Amino acid sequence: MQTIFAMGWRNIWRHRRRSLVVISSIALGIFAMILSMGIMNGMNNQAIENTIRTALGHIAIHRKGFHEDMKIAHNFKSTDRIMRSIAADRRIAAAAPRVKLPGMVRSSETSQGVLIVGIDPEKEMKISNLYQYTSKENGSRFLASPDENAALISQQTADRLKLVVGDKLVLMLQDRNNEIVGVGMTVAGTFQTPVESFDKLVVFTGIGKLQEITGLGENISEISIAITDPAAITDIKRRLIGAIGDDSLEVLTWMDMAPYLVSAVKFFDTIMYITFVIIFLVVVFSVANTLVMAIMERFHEIGVMKSIGTRPSWIATMIVFEAVNLGLVGLVAGVAAGTLSVAALSIGGINLGLFMESLRAWGTGSVIFPVIKGMDIVVAALIVLATTVLAAVYPAVKAARIKPLEALHFV
Amino acid sequence: MNIIELQSITKTYDTNGLTVPAVRGVDLVVEKGEFSALAGPSGSGKTTLLNLIGGLDNPSGGTVSVGGENITGYSPRQLSDLRLRKIGFIFQAYNLIPVLSAIENVEYILLLQGMEKTERRRRSAAMLAEVGLEGLTDRRPHQLSGGQQQRVAVARAIVSEPDIVLADEPTANLDQKTGAALLDLMHELNRTKGITFLFSTHDGMVMERAERLISLRDGVVEHDRVKRRAKPRSAKRKR
Repeated sequence: MQTIFAMGWRNIWRHRRRSLVVISSIALGIFAMILSMGIMNGMNNQAIENTIRTALGHIAIHRKGFHEDMKIAHNFKSTDRIMRSIAADRRIAAAAPRVKLPGMVRSSETSQGVLIVGIDPEKEMKISNLYQYTSKENGSRFLASPDENAALISQQTADRLKLVVGDKLVLMLQDRNNEIVGVGMTVAGTFQTPVESFDKLVVFTGIGKLQEITGLGENISEISIAITDPAAITDIKRRLIGAIGDDSLEVLTWMDMAPYLVSAVKFFDTIMYITFVIIFLVVVFSVANTLVMAIMERFHEIGVMKSIGTRPSWIATMIVFEAVNLGLVGLVAGVAAGTLSVAALSIGGINLGLFMESLRAWGTGSVIFPVIKGMDIVVAALIVLATTVLAAVYPAVKAARIKPLEALHFV
Repeated sequence: MNIIELQSITKTYDTNGLTVPAVRGVDLVVEKGEFSALAGPSGSGKTTLLNLIGGLDNPSGGTVSVGGENITGYSPRQLSDLRLRKIGFIFQAYNLIPVLSAIENVEYILLLQGMEKTERRRRSAAMLAEVGLEGLTDRRPHQLSGGQQQRVAVARAIVSEPDIVLADEPTANLDQKTGAALLDLMHELNRTKGITFLFSTHDGMVMERAERLISLRDGVVEHDRVKRRAKPRSAKRKR
């Protein structure tokens, strides 16, 4: 078999230029596949990470029903048992309480509906990137304490309400008695996250202040949790549910809270795979065409091989091996070019500032850091292998069926 | 011992709706160790007969036996196996596999027969030395002269020690001197190894050296003349 393989390999290089064209087309396909996969992975990862690091956290503990309806009655009081359950899992990096209430923010110019989120600034810094997203210029700063009578608003909201740092705004919301209350606050700072919908919707204030305004006392809306091992998220959730042991509460992962994000990632992956199938269908015809040409050129030679006793199956194996070799050389070249490009681009990222608004809508940020996973390489290898074998089927059958006498007379 | 037996062989070809007879009722017996030639003008049926004996074509009528096996009606796979086990081929245009070196071309037959690598390498090298190509074993066909390529083809045909070697116009592409040297070589192998050689030719030199000359005309045997029968020098084959 070694000799059959050697023949297959040497046959490829009999027409160096033609083989190089086919190999290049395969390599280019793989390169495009890995690079686009890398960029898409980077975008998906960043969209997920940004959503986790702004709005959701990896895991959140709520009263049942809160996620669907953020009414004040769905708040709950944290217990020692909950806090002990969280502290007991080493895979949990940090946890922070939040109060989330729908309301309205008003300036002297205008008003808009928002989600008012009360945070403990010190704890919040450990679970989200809000501190990093808060401007430190022109007097803008992060909240100083849970009880501070101040608010953080997005730059987008500030522009819309025509507010600057130091201005007054009014938060209006329902208290626990369903009375509308309004409280004046100072704009402590502005922030800008990579997630446009988040910026449009959310206003932060101190959790203690919000509990005081609404009469919630020590009640909170959620405990947001950051974990160190995202792969263990389902296991951590399961363990927390058991440890907390309170049927009135629910433990949700970001995937439970943002199913649209999971669907969107799957959708983009599907679109990408469809594109790859189209690319590699072109490759199939390119490889098949080359092999058919090679067989027609070697018609006489294959006839000789058969006349001296080579079985049709060996001829077919040789042709398939030629195709697989073309594919493997293209694969190695394509994977090398693709992974090196992804590695190089992942250092500084790809600045897509031109598309900043649409990227913010998708929540990725304007600089994309491509990421390639081992599984992507495996998928690429399998696609190439399957593609080239598929491409070789017809030429291999054709070669195996050559009649030796007919071929011997063919010059 | 009869190594080839043809009984009432006919072969017709259909060309553009016309039935053209190429072989018309040939009976022929070739004994083991013969050095024989099928001669005749173009279209006389000699190559067709060689193809039928080699299992490259099926007769329209009659039976073909090779090495005691009636191969009439064999499937392509069975014919392929028969050619591998019992028949060596030498072609007019050498027909070596261009991507293989001289030794790999010779070794190829043994590989198909499933011989172990070290042994097939040893035997192939010995066979190339026997046909005078020691030192050229690693050359590819395009790096060899016509005569050298035909010697590789001879080595390939006999390395597995087949019952018969069928040689279709083996000297047609060679100059007279090279052709004569090649015939000497094949005759020597016939005598020393007892391998049966059957040529198809219209080369006078081959006809002259053949020990039996079977003349064909219009698809029938016109003359069958045994000129001389050389006794093999050694019945024991070299390994």
